[in-house]
Amino acid sequence: MNKSTKKFLQIIYAVFFLLIAETAASTEDENLRRLTKPQSAINFGVGYLANDNARFGQYSGVRNEGPYGTFNFDITKRDENTGTWLKLLGRNLGLQNRDIRFEHTKQGHWSYFIDFSQTPRYEPFTAVTAVTGIGSAHLDVPTSPTTGEPAQLKTERQAISFGMNRVLPGNFEAQFHFRNEEKDGSRIFGRGNRLGPPISGVVGGYEFLPEPINYSTRQFGGTLNYNGKDLQLSGGYYGTMFINKNTALTTTGGSSAGGIYAPNLFSPIALPPDNQSHQLFLSGGYSFNPTTRGTFKAAYTRATQTDSFFPTQFLAPGVGSNLDGRIDTALVQASVTSRPLPKLSVVANIRFEDRDDNTPVLLYNPLAGQLDFNGNRWSGLNHPRSFSTLTSKVEANYTLPMNFRLIGGIEYEHWDRLWQPTFVGHRARTDEISYRAELRRTLSDSVTGSIAYIHSNRFGSPFISTMTATGDPFFNTIAPLNLSDRNRDKIRLSLNWEPIEPLSLQVMVDESFDNYGHRSGSNLGLQNGSARNYSLDAAYTVSENLQAVAWFSRNETFIDQASRNWSPADGSREIWSANLQNIGTSFGVDINGKPTEKLEVGASLSQSFITDKFKQRTSDPATYSVPNISTELSNLKLFARYALRKNLSLHLDYILNRFKTNEWTWNHWTYTDGTRLIQDTSQIVNFIGLSAHYTWQ
Amino acid sequence: MKNFIWNMHAFFPQILGIFFVLSIGMISQNVMASDNDDDDEPTEDIVLRGDRTCTGCHDEGAESVLTIGKTKHGTVADERAPTCTSCHGKSIRHMDRPEKVPMPSRTFGKNSLNPVEDRNQTCLNCHQGDKQMHWAGSTHANRDVACTSCHQIHTAQDKVRDRITQSEVCFSCHKEQRAQINRPSRHPVREGKVICSDCHNSHGSAGPGMMTRDSINDTCYTCHMEKRGPFVRNHPPVQENCALCHNPHGTTAPNLLKVRSPFLCQECHEPNTHQGSPGTIDGSYRRNLLARGCLNCHTQIHGSNNPEDVRLEDLLQR
Repeated sequence: MNKSTKKFLQIIYAVFFLLIAETAASTEDENLRRLTKPQSAINFGVGYLANDNARFGQYSGVRNEGPYGTFNFDITKRDENTGTWLKLLGRNLGLQNRDIRFEHTKQGHWSYFIDFSQTPRYEPFTAVTAVTGIGSAHLDVPTSPTTGEPAQLKTERQAISFGMNRVLPGNFEAQFHFRNEEKDGSRIFGRGNRLGPPISGVVGGYEFLPEPINYSTRQFGGTLNYNGKDLQLSGGYYGTMFINKNTALTTTGGSSAGGIYAPNLFSPIALPPDNQSHQLFLSGGYSFNPTTRGTFKAAYTRATQTDSFFPTQFLAPGVGSNLDGRIDTALVQASVTSRPLPKLSVVANIRFEDRDDNTPVLLYNPLAGQLDFNGNRWSGLNHPRSFSTLTSKVEANYTLPMNFRLIGGIEYEHWDRLWQPTFVGHRARTDEISYRAELRRTLSDSVTGSIAYIHSNRFGSPFISTMTATGDPFFNTIAPLNLSDRNRDKIRLSLNWEPIEPLSLQVMVDESFDNYGHRSGSNLGLQNGSARNYSLDAAYTVSENLQAVAWFSRNETFIDQASRNWSPADGSREIWSANLQNIGTSFGVDINGKPTEKLEVGASLSQSFITDKFKQRTSDPATYSVPNISTELSNLKLFARYALRKNLSLHLDYILNRFKTNEWTWNHWTYTDGTRLIQDTSQIVNFIGLSAHYTWQ
Repeated sequence: MKNFIWNMHAFFPQILGIFFVLSIGMISQNVMASDNDDDDEPTEDIVLRGDRTCTGCHDEGAESVLTIGKTKHGTVADERAPTCTSCHGKSIRHMDRPEKVPMPSRTFGKNSLNPVEDRNQTCLNCHQGDKQMHWAGSTHANRDVACTSCHQIHTAQDKVRDRITQSEVCFSCHKEQRAQINRPSRHPVREGKVICSDCHNSHGSAGPGMMTRDSINDTCYTCHMEKRGPFVRNHPPVQENCALCHNPHGTTAPNLLKVRSPFLCQECHEPNTHQGSPGTIDGSYRRNLLARGCLNCHTQIHGSNNPEDVRLEDLLQR
């Protein structure tokens, strides 16, 4: 904890004790007041983490063994005469993921708020590296493999928001909001080229270059709302701004092996450029009559990217000092819902979005026409990308006897894409049409639920062949995942059943099956896929003082796909396939009880087992095999709340958290500079906390 | 412009200290005002205007309906605040013969016999604008989700409006996502730092999937604006839909990728040379699977703004 944070927490502690001393005295008509007036609470104490970890505290900073402060408050006051609220909320003030929010509202008149939020993210892998300068835009990289020291990569977001609104005469309301977020730190990044190791006898390599993160992200806007009885309108402005304080990542050192593609020549490396957007919008709704309502939104957005290029001597003639990127997006959306007959309701909506990339097309690489390593020539132009989408839906809902409803719907999605394919196949147009039928039962004392079937079919215009700058066809074997023909069938079942008064059961099942089309003369790419999700939830109320909830989920996804291997040894090609599986089994139990008037206890257990399988079918399974990855996450929480007084209680919390994996992503990998990334594959965490909870009104 | 960047580290304690002291000052004043109010004579109505008709019977226990007094609906100084009958109807038969008509005209509990549209219209009569503007026609509206399926009206702490507890409410239907937030690669949903309503407007929106912004990408950009570009070198699927490659609810592959490299990349890319290799953790092609996989070389996978073209920039390598 740094010095300024300590000082801040000291101020908070002092103010709170003053506040409690002042307000604890109010006691009029206590029972009624307790039920009907806003209540405030403060919770403070200490916790102890018994084990170092990387996963449990990834987003809270509770990672290192030792004590941690617990400090939360929720102060709410209301002036009954004026309806003026004051709210002050503080969470996790003793930790790194703290939140503070202040709101002041005169209900029905005006309000404003200020909000602060801090979110760390610790990289779960520890880098053992000799690269120095981490976090800055200039790194020193060893020229040969060097054993380094452990380095913990981390990013942290700190956001301040404020907003206000004012109710105006004539059912109008004005709103304004602003949010600024600073994100600092570093994350895993690198450079490399495939001509390097591990292929013996050739040069090149891979180097660990943590990316410096020093971003400002802003959102701001103003809205004028009209809230009439039948007509509601909302129009205004929404702006965003991204600022990266680093334009490029530069290096000294690094491997010089590899000739013109040696890693040390890959510098500077461009970092994400500043960009901004400005949107004007108008949305609204109108109730034509009690059974018919229409809504709409129209918006126009201009997004620009004019961040200066980093200084370079290799800028092509005619290229300016920045991209001069500009994307104009127009959106129109409208929806109508109506109940023309007492038993029939209909929904129809349409949405059109046109994203027009007006970035100038320039020749960024005059030398692109020269032969590359594989004997191909390429265009040196940049490729702006425009596309438009049209989606529409019609759905009808008819009421049947016994509280059943029959729903049928058709949905249509159309894409137009403007793009000159180079390395990957392209389709100028795709269409997808979906049909939906559902039977649903609601309004029943014991059994409600639904069963739905959806069939969708995606198709499109002929594929545009990829080609080189000389017009020679390139490889045209893959229909990309978002462009390929696809048939999808999906079935969903949900059931809510209360067999006896204190017991409720919920069953949900959904299964989907995808079948992908392919490029003419090829059977590569996605073949088919399927997904299954089953869940069962049960809630049992033993008594007013004892409740239990249990749940189970099974989630499976399967993907079959094929590609073609290229052997560096003899240049032969072999079609191979992979069956990728992700299988998760999770369950949880929660029990809460109140054994005595003063004591509340509870336990919450959740467990997840996740397995990834990579079943490859090749002619050389000895070389090309990938082990399964199994991950197990367990979390046990126990708590006890003991009331010392009506408004003062002691809270005892215990957490046992376990993360176990055989994840191999970084196990067999050492960067050319000697960097390795490691993690503890079995992490067990014990955390115990004791705190006091005080409430007042 | 970069000179104006705020240094949050430097100003964080001071800014918070100032608004903290201001807020405490106002709270203290307000507490005193409230104490004075307690001297007022109690009226016949306990919480809401005209509630004596109901609270003559409904005044029982800790789960009392009276706790609506803690909420905005129970703020009677706001002339728009509802009465009991605003939502539950006049319930004349219920009042006259409660033993024979045990339910008010309109109820909102799980065993309610009032049509969902009727219950929801009760809320929409006041909450039809702003974030609820697109409720009509939204997926939740079309699937008979009642406002009270998610919202608790009579309690001060509405679970779905609390960042820590909101996901519990959403997961009562969205079971797949309940499992996914426990995957090794995830957003900090469990910590309440990224919550369902940060990305989805459950009341409906003009975007797909009830996104809070107008598209999936625009929603992702609210936190990941560095991916927006446009860049000198663009990667087409990035601009089209982040969810082509990422599952924001949680995955086992790193960086919320649906499938790890090279398998994910092979779902689009031609196997002209090394791109078509099977996965292996040893041997020559481990560079496609281990560490960052294809991104070991193609590091600028979201696009590169590098204006040079001398080191494989067009392949997103620099």
